[in-house]
Amino acid sequence: MDRNYHVFSDGRLERSDDTLRLVPDDGGEKQYIPIENAEAFFLHGQIDFNTRLMSFLNDRTVALHVFGWEDYYSGSVMPKRGQTSGKTVVNQVRAYEDSQHRRQLAAAIVRGSIHNMRTNVVYYNGRDHDLDDIIEELEAAAARVDKELPVDELLGTEATARKAYYRSFNEILPSEFQLSQREYNPPPNEINSLISFGNSLVYANCVSAIRATALDPTISYLHEPGERRYSLSLDLADLFKPVLADRVLFRLVNRNQISDTDFETELGSCLLNESGRKTYTKAFEETLERTVEHPTLNRKVSYQYLMRLEAYKLKKHLLTGEEYDPFQRWW
Amino acid sequence: MYVVMVYDLEADRTQKALKIGRRYLTHVQNSVLEGEISEGDLSKLKNEIDDLLKPGESTIIYELSSDTLLNRTVYGEDPTENQRFL
Repeated sequence: MDRNYHVFSDGRLERSDDTLRLVPDDGGEKQYIPIENAEAFFLHGQIDFNTRLMSFLNDRTVALHVFGWEDYYSGSVMPKRGQTSGKTVVNQVRAYEDSQHRRQLAAAIVRGSIHNMRTNVVYYNGRDHDLDDIIEELEAAAARVDKELPVDELLGTEATARKAYYRSFNEILPSEFQLSQREYNPPPNEINSLISFGNSLVYANCVSAIRATALDPTISYLHEPGERRYSLSLDLADLFKPVLADRVLFRLVNRNQISDTDFETELGSCLLNESGRKTYTKAFEETLERTVEHPTLNRKVSYQYLMRLEAYKLKKHLLTGEEYDPFQRWW
Repeated sequence: MYVVMVYDLEADRTQKALKIGRRYLTHVQNSVLEGEISEGDLSKLKNEIDDLLKPGESTIIYELSSDTLLNRTVYGEDPTENQRFL
């Protein structure tokens, strides 16, 4: 139910009448945003705000995710922790320190991630694309995943699988949108920039999901903690990228909803422009709101809530030892 | 669930209902708001509105279990369009 709002225009975000108001710089109409159903704001434009707004957002536990130059995720302003549990953090660190336990979790994440890549490829294989060899490669990679493997080998297996997976993009997408190679910093062509943008949205949504629990976002299992990023969010995002970001990408490009006019190309870099970003985020948010029947909860849950569930599952595993079963697309 | 809320308050008090409504819904026309809302938020909204009203004033909330059940045609500009993409 809790919604994400994306602000692309430049302006000022302020508290007004106990809710939120956006005052655009270009003198356009002020817009009121219903605070009661907001989960997070994604700021893509240049936004001013003051501390009064911060404490208001804090009260309502609404997060701000800031995207900077070249769509890079540049940070979040999170409400103060409502959930704190020293016990969770202690268990989280213990699991990291215990190399066997860490491997087990890392292997689970890689397993889920490869499975979700595979379901995308299988879907398009059934739709006039010949992707049998890529499916085989993914299956071979999945077979190599073992909880006894050291973490860097698991990461390597994930990378090999992802490389094979990205090759399928060239088959699935029309010839004017070719991936050739995954690159970033900055992305050199259209598909790379779409992947980067989508991944950063998945990442920020996972940050929100982790924040809803008492988990510490910097302690991770597959990725090495201590990087500048919330590495636990990187772990979870890997599971959801194929389901969220990539499917949106395929859909938009194959239906010509995104074309080369949605990009700005500069020397060596290619980025979505404002209309491209709007198209993409709209499709992305629609995807987040989609629901599926959950097999054990016996109710419908949104794709967005699946990320929250993943954080809950991990926390439960750490606290009670109940087996952690990674998110694998079941529908 | 999707709701449409219309209110009729004394002229100098209409702002009060608008202020409450805006926190949950989108203002679409004078005295009319609509939008997706959770059941919990809806009951909060109902309580707040109920507390606000004085004798002679009224507010009506139409509820639909989902916006797909609603046949909604807008002539002219749609105020709810791009509401989440600002």
